[in-house]
Amino acid sequence: MEKKLAMPKLRPEMTSGVLCAWLKEEGDPVEAGEPLYEVETDKVVNQIEATESGVLKKQLWEEGDQVAPGAPVAILETE
Amino acid sequence: MERKPEWLRVRYNQEAVAEVAQLLGELKLNTVCKEANCPNLGECYRKHTATFMILGSQCTRNCRFCNVTPGHPLPPDPDEPENVAAAAKKLGLRHVVLTCPTRDDLPDGGAEQFARTVRAIRANCPGVTVETLISDMQMNTAALDVVIEAHPEVLNHNVETVRALQKAVRPQADYERSLAVLRYCKEKDPTLLTKTGFMVGLGETEEQIGELMDDVLAVGCDILTIGQYLQPTPEHYPLARYASPEDFARYKKMALDKGFRYVASAPLARSSYKAWEALEGVHDLH
Repeated sequence: MEKKLAMPKLRPEMTSGVLCAWLKEEGDPVEAGEPLYEVETDKVVNQIEATESGVLKKQLWEEGDQVAPGAPVAILETE
Repeated sequence: MERKPEWLRVRYNQEAVAEVAQLLGELKLNTVCKEANCPNLGECYRKHTATFMILGSQCTRNCRFCNVTPGHPLPPDPDEPENVAAAAKKLGLRHVVLTCPTRDDLPDGGAEQFARTVRAIRANCPGVTVETLISDMQMNTAALDVVIEAHPEVLNHNVETVRALQKAVRPQADYERSLAVLRYCKEKDPTLLTKTGFMVGLGETEEQIGELMDDVLAVGCDILTIGQYLQPTPEHYPLARYASPEDFARYKKMALDKGFRYVASAPLARSSYKAWEALEGVHDLH
């Protein structure tokens, strides 16, 4: 089953965040709780953990892209 | 935006954050974690830890380093003390940290709300320790007495930065007044553990850091926290530098050598981050 993982709203006034790095490649297995990608905000770099386990099927954005909160970031193939 | 150094990476789990945020929302509670956009929010919420910000989320001052919204705050919520105690119980906290925006609009600076909240926690959460991270309350000794008489285990008030940068960074506060608050509380009740903290990365020198440590030690301060200043937005006070973990280790050694009983010094150390460790650390020394 395919599951879309969305960009979290890291602060109340956040309108977008820079996806600065992918920590998993397409095809990699991912455990829930493992960091999947990094988003830079004003203060720090946030390593966003996967909320489900599965295989990373598709990275929907490239490193450096601005992504709005709520937008799908990755597609995970789950069991 | 300057590239963030490797040591400013934090983990973020959406479900854990949402769970704690929902609980706090149901009880109409604010946290400094959210209002200050704290980098440790993800880690702390995941561990079911939060620092409550009583007395609203709007501040009557406008310090240039701080993310808390300046504005006209509402009157204190009479249900807040009980709600904080209920949340502390639900989260299973063993050490509760209470802070507030500065309430220069209230005659007592919010002291009575602090005292009521400490008492509500005492009544509802047996064995739980409490830390009050207060404003300077304009050095109103009657107001400070109200907080002291509630007897939190730790009384915390931050000097925030070295003497030379006070006017630029926190124009409505005052270094001497903050020292006076710490001195007064310790003298009034020597059994209180007193605590303060400051940021590095605002442009201070190592010599000024040493002077700050001497100044707060001279007023009897037991616990010191040292953390990296992180600019909340480009409109806030400009960041001068990122201090390295080695720098923080050196500051820690400097502070311990000078005589502090406990020092938390790390890039992401914050006033209330792992605050129970400071309390336990001091007690281990007894």
